[in-house]
Amino acid sequence: MLRFIGRRALYAIPLLLVIVVLMFSMLHLIPGDPVQALVGDYPVPPAYRQAIEEKYRLNDPFLVQVGNYLANVVQGDFGFSYQNQRTVLSLILERAPRTILLAAVSFGLAIPLGMLIGIACGTTRHPGVDKFWTTTALIAYAIPTFWLGQLFVMFFALKLGWFPTQGIGPMVSRTQGFAWVLERIRYLALPVMAFGIHEGMRIARIMRASVIDTLSQGYIVTARAKGLGRGQIIRSHVLRNSSLPLVTIAGYAFGHALGGAVLLETVFTWPGLGLLLVDAIRLRDNMTVVGVVIFSAIAVVVMNLVVDLLYAMLDPRIRTMR
Amino acid sequence: MNASPVLLDVRDLKVHLRVGPVLVKAIDGVDFQVRHGECVGIVGESGSGKSTMARAVTRLMPNVAIGELSGRLTFDGRDILGMPDAELRRLRRGRGFSMIFQDPLGYLNPTQRIGRQIGEALARDAGAGADQARIRTLLDEVGLPDPANIARRYPHELSGGQRQRVMIAIALASDPQLLFADEPTTALDATVQLQVLQTLYRLHRERNMAMAIITHDLGVVAELCDRVYVMRAGKVVESAETVTLFENPAHDYSRRLIELSTRRHTRGAGA
Amino acid sequence: MSETTLTAHAARLMRTRHGSIGAVILIAMALIAVFAGLLAPYAPLQQTAESLAEPSAAYLFGTDNIGRDIFSLVVHGARSSLLVGLGAALAALLVGGTVGIVAGYFQGPVEAVLMRIVELFQTLPVIILVLCAVALFGSSFWLLIAAVALAIWPMEARLVYGQYLKLRDRDFIAAARVADLSTAHIMFREILPNALQPVIVQVALDASIAILIEAGLGFLGLSDPDMVSWGRLLFVAQDYMDSAWWMSLFPGAAICLTVVGLNLFADGLNEVIDPRGSAGAGGLQ
Repeated sequence: MLRFIGRRALYAIPLLLVIVVLMFSMLHLIPGDPVQALVGDYPVPPAYRQAIEEKYRLNDPFLVQVGNYLANVVQGDFGFSYQNQRTVLSLILERAPRTILLAAVSFGLAIPLGMLIGIACGTTRHPGVDKFWTTTALIAYAIPTFWLGQLFVMFFALKLGWFPTQGIGPMVSRTQGFAWVLERIRYLALPVMAFGIHEGMRIARIMRASVIDTLSQGYIVTARAKGLGRGQIIRSHVLRNSSLPLVTIAGYAFGHALGGAVLLETVFTWPGLGLLLVDAIRLRDNMTVVGVVIFSAIAVVVMNLVVDLLYAMLDPRIRTMR
Repeated sequence: MNASPVLLDVRDLKVHLRVGPVLVKAIDGVDFQVRHGECVGIVGESGSGKSTMARAVTRLMPNVAIGELSGRLTFDGRDILGMPDAELRRLRRGRGFSMIFQDPLGYLNPTQRIGRQIGEALARDAGAGADQARIRTLLDEVGLPDPANIARRYPHELSGGQRQRVMIAIALASDPQLLFADEPTTALDATVQLQVLQTLYRLHRERNMAMAIITHDLGVVAELCDRVYVMRAGKVVESAETVTLFENPAHDYSRRLIELSTRRHTRGAGA
Repeated sequence: MSETTLTAHAARLMRTRHGSIGAVILIAMALIAVFAGLLAPYAPLQQTAESLAEPSAAYLFGTDNIGRDIFSLVVHGARSSLLVGLGAALAALLVGGTVGIVAGYFQGPVEAVLMRIVELFQTLPVIILVLCAVALFGSSFWLLIAAVALAIWPMEARLVYGQYLKLRDRDFIAAARVADLSTAHIMFREILPNALQPVIVQVALDASIAILIEAGLGFLGLSDPDMVSWGRLLFVAQDYMDSAWWMSLFPGAAICLTVVGLNLFADGLNEVIDPRGSAGAGGLQ
């Protein structure tokens, strides 16, 4: 199994390198002054222009520039955001935990909920239950999360006043202990609901299909022949085996969510990576754009590795592979 | 002639299956008996309905596919078709009937250790430690070496013959009075086939356990079975003592099956 | 596919519950897009007397902050949404389908390189890919279609590649090779038609994703500002959530309805292709 994981990890590194090189090359595709392209729409003072030209060796051949940029990235230097007057890395490090929090809580709710609905649909003896949830999932999956977010804000925040409309709460909170947790939850509730419903319904669809597939397997017949009851069969034979395809798909989706739920963060003005990216694009703060994209690629690749590991743990056929 | 009392009694069994829009008469009025401690063969070509019959009798058919299921089915004097699920589960768990299948890899859960899959079939009366001991005894009984090691393994780590022995161990865990074996050796290599059949025969003898072997291979029947039912297109065309059938088949179809099988076996021996 | 089998397929599609509902929604949406000028009481950019008017008989869906009739905007918005959806899905089919077939046919290093490129594109979240493209190259209507296609073509490539591998070893392909037919002939005349049905399903799903992405870009204010689009209406609505719920509700509902229509249509197609696969759960006894 170690070899399996090792192979996957080795495979991920060139993928990341290619992405970094591509992103840097794309900056060069922007017509006009390369310094301006790096800095974006911002008047560049001559002293700073010279510093950038030296740092990124803009007068050297293209390949040297790429190599130089790559070396910087490997050391964690994604450049400087002129618009924010901070290093891109410090911006990313400030924003990432918020995005991770949103994604983790959303998926933390969506995964068990979606699995439960999927299992219920797949194993139910009442076609009505299956039809109801299949239709619900189909419609819920078609709702854009950002529109659902708007509806939630209008209804739960503006009309009922239960939750705040936006943000992650005061920077310096006056509350402590349990009240502090409650305050966090109030700010998290709406974005998590919008995100969680979307992902949960997707997971439910996948889980349902997977459960139906599992139920058609021979070992379910064996389990029935053993005289096991419905609940016992679901618990010990359906649950784990049906979850295998889910691990891959949900893990992949989670990786993408870490890269920034751009639209959702915009609706709720949730100051995570997604909002950082959108703002950077609007301000043409290209250093930050490239930095966030590279970070999200890293997040996806790392999550894929975690998925491989998890899959191997759940599936002995891979675990025992030499 | 075996004089022991009838264990499984099937009268006028009809199973009609829904295949898309059409209704297929998979089993069309079959009578069939198995006595205590007897070994019965059910032979026929694929599609003759022999597997469907085994699934219907053990009530392992998926409900969705069934268009009609009728007849009188009694096991040990108890009605099987009308039996409530809970009672059926009790029957499967102890002193009832078990079943083994053609494809042991597909019929074993790939994500569970062998020991656990056997333990699940044991009646829940002893503690965990006693369970471990019983699992090892069962693995030993079906002729698997180093049972403690096998119990820790996963199905994909075993050979085809080992897997089928594990299936047999699972079937034996409930100490059944009747074992259905659906093409138990078809998926195995020729040499392994013989060993598994010998094991089945030994268990049948030692445990005085009735067996119903479903096969397309008359050779298997000749080795093991006391009596034979020949099935064709959902009907039993002939039933006889094994010796009688081979020496003096009453039905054309039986004669053809025997000819085919002899030819195959002589060719096999010559090669 | 000959014309008779096409009508036969269409008839079977209309007999499935999902397929028929989906087809009706899509046909209705297409008609709305085509006849937008006739259906809408106002020109899309025309300002009426009232701004932020609630839905009423005069303004079915109300008016927006500068007094434009939302109903007319939503009706006209169908055009850009459907065009981007269909355009991007077809462009993705063209690019992805070619890559998939070429990778499958040549195998070896060509296959390896192409499939690595597909994986590279699938590493980044779709929305981020599109945002990068739009940030670099701008967002005029055609660039928008290209950007969305850029993000979704890998799915199409994977599918066609998979279909190709499944078909490659079938007899009729081998026969075509023995008959010494040209590579292009085998690829496009023998294999493509046989892989067509699952590909059509994927195109319908791609179109729904494209419409969602287009709406997302509009919502971020990054779509073509000269086009009326549902997403862009939601972008404006974001600032009026406290006063004009109708500015958000109706454009969003239009997006939903279209995407549901495409998904139902794809479901129905799947059912026609593989009646057993979508028969659903039998439950556990």
